[in-house]
Amino acid sequence: MTALLQISNISKRFGGLQALNDVNVSIARGEILGLIGPNGAGKTTLFSTLVGLLKPSTGSIRLEGREIAGMKPHRIASAGMVKTFQNVALFLDSSVLDNVLTGGLLRHSVSEARALARHCLAQVGLSDIADKRAGDLSFPERARVEVARALCTEPRILLLDEAMAALNHAEMDEFLALLRRLRDGGLTLVIVEHHMKAIMSICDRLLVLNFGRQIAIGTPAEIARDPAVIEAYLGRSAA
Amino acid sequence: MKPALKYALIALALAVAVAVPFGLEPRGYATRILCLVLLFAAMAQAWNIVGGLANQMSLGHAAFFGIGAYGSTILLVKYGISPWLGLLPGMAAGGVAAWLISLPTMRLRGHYFALATLAFGEVMRLVANTWGGLTGGPSGISVPFSKPGLAVFQFKDMRPYYFLMLAALLVVTAIFAGIRHSKLGYRLRAIRENPSAAEAIGVDTTRTKIIAAVVSGALMAGLGTFYAQFQFFFDPDTVFSIPAISVRVAMIAIVGGVGTTIGPIVGALFLIPIEELANQTFSDQAAGLSQLVFGLLLIVVILAEPRGLLEIGRRLWRWRGRT
Repeated sequence: MTALLQISNISKRFGGLQALNDVNVSIARGEILGLIGPNGAGKTTLFSTLVGLLKPSTGSIRLEGREIAGMKPHRIASAGMVKTFQNVALFLDSSVLDNVLTGGLLRHSVSEARALARHCLAQVGLSDIADKRAGDLSFPERARVEVARALCTEPRILLLDEAMAALNHAEMDEFLALLRRLRDGGLTLVIVEHHMKAIMSICDRLLVLNFGRQIAIGTPAEIARDPAVIEAYLGRSAA
Repeated sequence: MKPALKYALIALALAVAVAVPFGLEPRGYATRILCLVLLFAAMAQAWNIVGGLANQMSLGHAAFFGIGAYGSTILLVKYGISPWLGLLPGMAAGGVAAWLISLPTMRLRGHYFALATLAFGEVMRLVANTWGGLTGGPSGISVPFSKPGLAVFQFKDMRPYYFLMLAALLVVTAIFAGIRHSKLGYRLRAIRENPSAAEAIGVDTTRTKIIAAVVSGALMAGLGTFYAQFQFFFDPDTVFSIPAISVRVAMIAIVGGVGTTIGPIVGALFLIPIEELANQTFSDQAAGLSQLVFGLLLIVVILAEPRGLLEIGRRLWRWRGRT
């Protein structure tokens, strides 16, 4: 299997802080990769670097063989990689439908994008609130609207930054089912999530970051018994 | 509002707009004021593309207005080119100027964008005052009189000007409404509400903002030609004026309802006559009293409803429905 996304030697430095230090990972088409690590490990920085909101200090990012490191975010979105934001970044004064529709404009006319947006809203189960103002929604609803908006750009690979935060159990099960359906439809996913049970159940592989450094990569079962990971999460004595 | 009601109201407003000048003295003061109302409504509408849709508070739109006014008038004075033809290079120059000022101000937000555009308008005023060989300098420039007619954009009565101004307003409003419902409009709204999110879902924010600025600047320049042909005489301090042009068009759009299609029209219908009335009523009193009264009125409107007169109207409509 050829890699859809090839991340090689990615580092990001902010002044004296090494936020990412030599990250290397190759993500296969149709894979669900989980990105975990303690707070401040560099998960969101890695996402922002991948989609071009930050420029990597060194390293290469290849999407379907094409170098995208240093490109502007809209070019990377057009190449097929988008992310959602940790704090949820909607257009709050616009309707839910208009939010999602704006994603569809990347590849379609306004009327086509509107039809596609309705489809994406149905996928995340939000058809009934299409006309509500985004600013009036609850946080979990906003997160799902943002996922729908990202889907409306028709990505090859979608990066979800804590999209499941604040969901209750039933909602989370629904969301995981949605992610599986999307994967079965050919989408590749990278997800940052703190809810360990959810991430263990859905991910094919996990990448663990700590202080910007990649400390382990492997299947959930391998990661669960990896001494370096246990040490990072629980401290040295536990390992 | 239901679409049927909306179209009925638009048709009614148009019918009134067409009928009104026939009830007024064709060379009279009232028709002249209405011409200015229509012209300033169109200018505020052109400003609304940048100031409303993109939410970039430009205070330098006089720059494009003056470029258009001088552009067509210089071509007319020096080469005898009809203002209708001079309109086009004037608009092109306005668009290019908007593109040039967009490049350095692209990343500025809020007050910083406002200050940078304000400075640009001032620079254009100084250039026009200094470059006397081209512009006639501080003593101004006059549109040469010729036999009146549509071909030369000159008329004896106010009435033809009124209908040309009305046509200009309709064209600019149609362009604004078209942009609002197009890809460009959705993208501008996305940038206004969250630039990073817009960029991350594929909106080329730089390109989008430049297109909006160029369209807005070109339209503003076109209206400069209309102003020149209407006034027959102007100087750099008039067409590149901060209070009389740059701030006034922004004010009209904001007081009416910024970012909305009919806000600038409502704003101009309210502000221009009131300003005239204040001037008439208080001009023989203490100096500056009319400006003071006018300013106080603006403060009251904005304090009552920062989203403008249109929103006040909407509130009244809802309140009426409840009782």
